[in-house]
Amino acid sequence: MLLKEKYAVVGCVVVRLAVSLLFPSLQTQLDKSVELSTPMSSYRLLNEGIFLLRNGFPLYDGGVVHHPPLLVAFMSLIEPQYLVALLYALTDGLISYQLICMARFFSDLGLPTWLPGALYALNPLVLLSCVSQSSVIFTNAFTSTAILCALNGNLLTFAMALGAASYLSLYQLSLLIPSLYLLSRENNQRSRATLAVLGVFAALLQLSSVVTGGSWKFLQATYWSQMNFEKLFPNLGLWWYFFIEMFDMFIPFFKAAFNIFAISFVLPFSIRFQSQPFYALVLCIGWITLTKPYPTLGDAGFFLSFLPFFKPLFGYMRCPLLSALLFIHAIILSPIFYHLWVDLGSGNSNFFYAISLVYALALGFILIDLCWSMLRIEFDGGRPNYKLKVTQI
Amino acid sequence: MALIEQLQRRVVEMGLVPKIIALLPLVSMICAMISSLWLATLPIEGQFRRTYISENALMPSQAYSYFRESEWNILRGYRSQIEHFGEISNNERNEQMAEWLQEFGAKTSIYNNEEYGDSLYGILHAERGDGTEAILLAVPWYNAEGDLNVGGASLGISLSRFFSRWPVWSKNIIIVFSENPNVALRSWVQAYHTSLDLTGGSIEAAIVLDYPGTNDYFDYAEISYGGLNGELPNLDLVNIAVSITEHEGVHVSLHGMTPESINDESYWSRLKILLCGIYRDAFAGLEPLQGNEAFSGWRIQSVTIKAHGKEGGNNDITTFGRIPEAMFRSINNLLEKFHQSYFFYMLVAPRYFVSISSYLPATVVLTAGFALASLNSLLANQYSNLSFYSHYNLKALLFWLVSILVSFVFSQLFLYVPSTILLVAFIVVMLLLPLAAGRLWTITEPLSHRLQMYAFLYMSLVVTSLMMVNFTLAFVVGILAFPMTAVGTQRSLTFKKYALLIISNPLVSFFIVKPHPQLLQKLISAWQDLGCWTWFVLCLGWLPSWTLIALSACSSTNLDPVATSKKEQ
Repeated sequence: MLLKEKYAVVGCVVVRLAVSLLFPSLQTQLDKSVELSTPMSSYRLLNEGIFLLRNGFPLYDGGVVHHPPLLVAFMSLIEPQYLVALLYALTDGLISYQLICMARFFSDLGLPTWLPGALYALNPLVLLSCVSQSSVIFTNAFTSTAILCALNGNLLTFAMALGAASYLSLYQLSLLIPSLYLLSRENNQRSRATLAVLGVFAALLQLSSVVTGGSWKFLQATYWSQMNFEKLFPNLGLWWYFFIEMFDMFIPFFKAAFNIFAISFVLPFSIRFQSQPFYALVLCIGWITLTKPYPTLGDAGFFLSFLPFFKPLFGYMRCPLLSALLFIHAIILSPIFYHLWVDLGSGNSNFFYAISLVYALALGFILIDLCWSMLRIEFDGGRPNYKLKVTQI
Repeated sequence: MALIEQLQRRVVEMGLVPKIIALLPLVSMICAMISSLWLATLPIEGQFRRTYISENALMPSQAYSYFRESEWNILRGYRSQIEHFGEISNNERNEQMAEWLQEFGAKTSIYNNEEYGDSLYGILHAERGDGTEAILLAVPWYNAEGDLNVGGASLGISLSRFFSRWPVWSKNIIIVFSENPNVALRSWVQAYHTSLDLTGGSIEAAIVLDYPGTNDYFDYAEISYGGLNGELPNLDLVNIAVSITEHEGVHVSLHGMTPESINDESYWSRLKILLCGIYRDAFAGLEPLQGNEAFSGWRIQSVTIKAHGKEGGNNDITTFGRIPEAMFRSINNLLEKFHQSYFFYMLVAPRYFVSISSYLPATVVLTAGFALASLNSLLANQYSNLSFYSHYNLKALLFWLVSILVSFVFSQLFLYVPSTILLVAFIVVMLLLPLAAGRLWTITEPLSHRLQMYAFLYMSLVVTSLMMVNFTLAFVVGILAFPMTAVGTQRSLTFKKYALLIISNPLVSFFIVKPHPQLLQKLISAWQDLGCWTWFVLCLGWLPSWTLIALSACSSTNLDPVATSKKEQ
């Protein structure tokens, strides 16, 4: 490991730990912001679950906790607050390290291997998400582990990591499709991987049922309430506004449509870019971030951390400035508009939804741009030719 | 998409891109001009609209108002006592008033605040309501000018007595006597929402009465509505205040202008009201408060009604009392919170307003001007090809972060040491910064361009984020900071550029627009006592950008630009 890589990883951990410990009230503040925490990932509600678990109450009867039981059980083992902060910081450090390891696989990009790790360490979105102690960080850590193991061809760890990621956030299960293309075709690796991931996932569910005293209620409280969007909370996603406005009879149909939408592009991305499976995987992560029911800035930050790997494509991007500006403005304006709506009462929900649409537009632009540049470099046969102008028909 | 692409290709083919880039500074300047002209067009016929009562339930002046001659004697009686309240302590005043309030069944309590002064408040519980909502009548003992509010206090107590005899109320009535309309009232409002035991539900609307002196007659009524941090009451409340006041035959004044100088048909009168409003709102918290500002930030719609003059023909003090009476009757009809009408508006006459869609573009164009200036610093030089990861760029980012940090320390320092001498010393040092460049340190040309890029981008973001919350401050800050974009970067600083730099310094330029020897103390106390964030907008929003510009105004380079860009690529 190079010195700079060490700096990046250690810096990542130290910065997070320092921010958490120097500003202890920041965690509660950030946990209250709708951009960083949702009912499905908030630390406040995780704590609630820990309390219920420790005192022997049924976890999911109150309809408050939506975290998977194993996560609650695991977090209940970690007692003092500084250890929790340390755990979150180390998890982020792990992700940063794994990004560095991935960069080693793509040495022909001309990308310094330490750079993705350093950018992850400095990325304010993941930094704040880590400090807010939202549980998306664990999903992200397992996802990045899965990607790294798939690149390594380490089948067993891959299956465990992706199984765990899907266990924490169901939509990650769809990442199985693009990651299969990362594995080689020999020895039935792909079918074995599929079985292994599903096996791990099933085993985790079984274990959860054991933890919660043999009941399967947690399925309803965790996965179903996510897919069914049962907690009508504003967030940066596209879902919530529809379901506060809609007539009751249309709701089931649109919930189904939104769910299908959330995974609809996974298969097309995987098939179209099967010769570049790593990139297809990143696009799928971006797509899920854009369309899942309870997205946070932590998800978006994780997706954006993969952007350095697209370095050879930067020249093809059509509107990087526009999407960057849109993204920055959306992130800055969303807490302001939320404040206008909820605190001051001079704005209304349309304000916040408008800004979350801008945010979705920015993410969408980035995705479209990445897709376009991948198609372009394929058209150019891998040798960038920026002079040639190609138009989409 | 294809259409845009076609267009873009034609633009590239015609070789317009370098021309557009060369024109960027001009376009950016034009943006600032459009922005100021835009405001000037708002008072033109067709740009503004006539106000209307949007919430049907309000029905202002539909019920006959009864606060007339029969109450005049009671009012006079109270007033003959209150006249002498200037000679006794706040405590005695409050106790006497509490006794009077209890006589007709109001529950009273005194909120003790040693720092800002005690406030007495009483609650009349609504007979027909569930006690979850309230309307508030506030009477500061001393008004913004420091005069004893004799008429206001007499009206306050006699109106409460009058209200207590009526069974129509569906909302609780709260009456507050605070020491002043500034911090004392604001601290009471805060205490009401946090610590007080005797409460009367959520306050839907607040009316502050200001009738200084013992005179029976007055000329006209001034309605103040602008709050702190750019907040405004719902337009419906202002509308009923104006409509009821005029219905009672009293002329309405806005922003300290006399009714004679307000002429609905004249462009200049409308422009003047608009500009006065912008000036007042942008510098809210720095002027003495009228009272309605104290309710900002608590979802309370509030206005202050102030009586002016002593010689009005038909306007006696009961006429003034009928204004809050009719407003209370009207607000009492509300079934929901104020939400129907506008929260973002600007008045150009008591009955004419400009809605947000008409005035917002002024600031949007201004931020676009900053964004274009930023783009200009990025593109219009030979270093535009430097990659994002080049060390000039990263260094500029670092500079920007450090400048924010330094500005933060600067802002915090003055919270503890609000000394004008220290501030002047700091300003002098800041203004000498660009002159020291080249002697004490050198900033290379590519770095200076990148610094300016970040400075303008940051400024654009600051103005954008302020725009919806505090439009007037965003606009004023944007316009005052705009000379920064013309500074540019050069080997030696000319006098003109140096002057531009000086007048765009946040503190200097704020002092020019609002000259006052105690400006710093006012800014600091506005934050500490009232929660008005103007000081932080100046320090954290504007100062970092200005520092970057001051550092990069004078650059020296020994670099061969071509070699540099090659190396970086």
